[in-house]
Amino acid sequence: MPQPTMPDFSNNNNLIKRRKYLKLSYQYFVNHFISFLLIPIIATVAIQLARIGPDDIIATIKSFHYNPVQVLCSLFVLIFISTVYFMSKPRSVYLVDYSCYKPPITCRVPFSTFMEHSRLILKDNPKSVEFQMRILERSGLGEETSLPPAIHYIPPTPNMEAARGEAELVIFSAIDNLFAKTGLKPKDIDILIVNCSLFSPTPSLSAMVVNKYKLRSNIKSYNLSGMGCSAGLISIDLARDLLQVLPNSNAVVVSTEIITPNYYQGNERAMLLPNCLFRMGAAALLLSNKRREQKRAKYKLVHVVRTHKGSDDRAYRCVYEQEDPQGLVGINLSKDLMVIAAEALKSNITTMGPLVLPASEQLLFLFTLIGRKIFNPKWKPYIPDFKLAFEHFCIHAGGRAVIDELQKNLQLSAEHVEASRMTLHRFGNTSSSSLWYELSYIESKGRMKKGDRVWQIAFGSGFKCNSAVWKCNRNIKTPINGPWEDCIDRYPVHIPEVVKL
Amino acid sequence: MLMSKEENPIYDIKISSVGPGLISGRDAVQELSGMDLAMKLHYLRTVYYFPRQAFEGLTIINIKETIFLWLNYAYIPNGRFRKSDSGRPYIKCNDCGVRLIEARCKMSLNEWLESSDDAATHKLVVPGQVLGPNLFYSPLVLLQLTKFVCGGTAVGVSWAHVLGDAFSAATFMNLWGQATRNKYPAQPLLMAHFKTQAQNSKSPIKDPLAVKRVGPVGDHWVTSNDTKMETYSFDVSWADLARLQTKICVDKDYQQIPPFESICAAVWQCVAKVKHETDVKMVTICKKDSKYSFEEVFTNKGQRVKVVKTNVSPKELSPMELGLLIMNQVVDETNIIEEAIEFDNQLQDFLVYGANLTFVDLLDAPVYDLNIRGHKPIYINCAIDNVGDEGVVLVFPSQKYHFNGVKVSITFPETYIPNLKWMLKKEWSL
Repeated sequence: MPQPTMPDFSNNNNLIKRRKYLKLSYQYFVNHFISFLLIPIIATVAIQLARIGPDDIIATIKSFHYNPVQVLCSLFVLIFISTVYFMSKPRSVYLVDYSCYKPPITCRVPFSTFMEHSRLILKDNPKSVEFQMRILERSGLGEETSLPPAIHYIPPTPNMEAARGEAELVIFSAIDNLFAKTGLKPKDIDILIVNCSLFSPTPSLSAMVVNKYKLRSNIKSYNLSGMGCSAGLISIDLARDLLQVLPNSNAVVVSTEIITPNYYQGNERAMLLPNCLFRMGAAALLLSNKRREQKRAKYKLVHVVRTHKGSDDRAYRCVYEQEDPQGLVGINLSKDLMVIAAEALKSNITTMGPLVLPASEQLLFLFTLIGRKIFNPKWKPYIPDFKLAFEHFCIHAGGRAVIDELQKNLQLSAEHVEASRMTLHRFGNTSSSSLWYELSYIESKGRMKKGDRVWQIAFGSGFKCNSAVWKCNRNIKTPINGPWEDCIDRYPVHIPEVVKL
Repeated sequence: MLMSKEENPIYDIKISSVGPGLISGRDAVQELSGMDLAMKLHYLRTVYYFPRQAFEGLTIINIKETIFLWLNYAYIPNGRFRKSDSGRPYIKCNDCGVRLIEARCKMSLNEWLESSDDAATHKLVVPGQVLGPNLFYSPLVLLQLTKFVCGGTAVGVSWAHVLGDAFSAATFMNLWGQATRNKYPAQPLLMAHFKTQAQNSKSPIKDPLAVKRVGPVGDHWVTSNDTKMETYSFDVSWADLARLQTKICVDKDYQQIPPFESICAAVWQCVAKVKHETDVKMVTICKKDSKYSFEEVFTNKGQRVKVVKTNVSPKELSPMELGLLIMNQVVDETNIIEEAIEFDNQLQDFLVYGANLTFVDLLDAPVYDLNIRGHKPIYINCAIDNVGDEGVVLVFPSQKYHFNGVKVSITFPETYIPNLKWMLKKEWSL
């Protein structure tokens, strides 16, 4: 009897469904391998015990002869091993809470205003004007990003006093907010780390904080400068290392980028891009290894993975601060920035993967790797599915291209990158603090639940790719007092490919 | 302090933009009525002089904050022009902002006001830009804050007439005063909506007498005058004005001629006597609509543009006859102008002020209602920029120190100004 001809797509649908179920069952089996092993063993033991009967069991136990010395030695060994274990276990580092700076309305620079000012400032260079227009149209920024007061002028009037003013404004506001949220007292801060890449006055910004809040004279303060947009996670790494050495301590980390002194006033195209993207922002975090903070801490730090590609000349020169032919200082972004970022990401993932991926993904990756090496190099490299390892992703909002690239490389859905895209739209590229605005977005949307794992990825000059993995410690209820408070209901928004002016 | 003519007393100029603090709405646009487009070539330049206490203790950031909050309630003037497919301009409400110019003056406020009260002086503290040639990137409203040595401040406002008349401009500024006292209106100030009548371009449109066709100006909304214009202004106290009225109104049986019309009659006759070659037989009168009050909106329809014609030369009529003509024989051409702006499916470029000798009544304009933190301006000067060759006479309230009355500001071809001054003094002691 002739088979009824099935339409092609129905066949395909079935195949896809079958593959999906196959993959799911494979994952479940491998990830719960131990359970699968234990169940038959426990079953066998239980059956055996049942067969022997309770009286026989008691008789068997009574027949053991207890030598007091042996018992004491075994107990001693046990206590010794557990003490060594607990002492050598790294201290858990908790993120108690954090606060993001929300700029006042006087700093707002709508899209059209920025374009108009650029036209007026660059009026002698129509080609540069056109270039900057094209960048802005496709940048993914919204109408509410902020620039410091000195940059509102035509032409901008950056000077040291204005830069210090901006630093005081953003850093002190963020820290005041952090104190209010956590109830932290200035005298209880043991470690202070401030990172700001492009503005590094003397005394340092961390000294500025110590002076303002009258912190203790034996405080361990650090100021990281020149380390780019990934410096926030470098500060976290440093805080974690310090908290291993100092028991029962609080660490405050302040991440920011001061825009005032870094507005490029020339007309070299490769150096105009940062002007279009960088905006005001800051974040202050409270990290602690105190046992009593565990209950109320929001997150637990699980891993920090740092990858530095600076040994490669191309990567080193990819984001380079230099003078243009007219002597004006700006940051030159090379054309192969995306390629280098992808390579740095690959390196980072290679180290991160074994730490976080479930066994099923690691096995598959291993098999594909072996297969490619031994059998057939033409096999497609297996990209592990990081969505199985994390519930939330915070990709540094460096620019639309960066987010697009990572979404493609990690095969993430639109919802996974929503926090990054919306942060870029609402706040622009706030450099090292953008990860915290994104985390705040996820919390404000009510998507963060206890046990959720978050992956923060940041790129920066050098070229560096740094990641941090956090685990949510408790359920976080909305509404939260954060920078998204008044506008979260308007998000997510659709960001057009090209914004019509 | 002696100021040489070449030395500019204004220095330390900084330019920035200030817009609404809150986002005003995605892709919001504002269509313009025919009357708005008819007035597009004119600009209102007003300066408010404030004493030291008004802005005392405020940094520029504090002042900008009040402006950001103010403009939340008046977001339309922050937009920029765009053109629809048919070429008709409209305003895109993209929050681009007003241009803010900060400046300092080497003199004190009293010295400044005493040195001279002429138009050239006031021009130094008001922005003088026009719309275009880059129409899409030209601000509609510009503010200049000039700080004097004593702490007094001059607030200069340049307002594109396309947004609305002087009454709308004054209402717009008064909102700022409210913002400085933390008072805000219930709704933002919007542009008045009017239903556009169906255009019947086939029927021949009678050319309105009150306008002069110019251009095409394209995207640069400015014209040039054939003769150089100069502005001469003088104060008239209420007492003197009452005397003027009685002098004009010799016959008590006829109706009483109000202050504005009396001034119109007096000036019209003097101009006719001074200008020998042409008979100034037609003038334009711009007065606020007495029937409808357009509160809480920007509009160009609140001011009616009317034309008065005489058959004989005004020199031969008595001032009272002129006054009665102005009151009773005016023809309201506002609607005709609105229809004529779109002739042959193409937008025309009109000059309204100055097409004929134009008298503008701003006596009711609430300019002295601008209250900054409880302080009113000690002096105000109004001017209209980019007017036609026939001249413009502005009448607005004037309160300087203890003086209370009106100011008459005449913009006229410069060659006639000396004679006009002499004639006004001779005939009316003005």
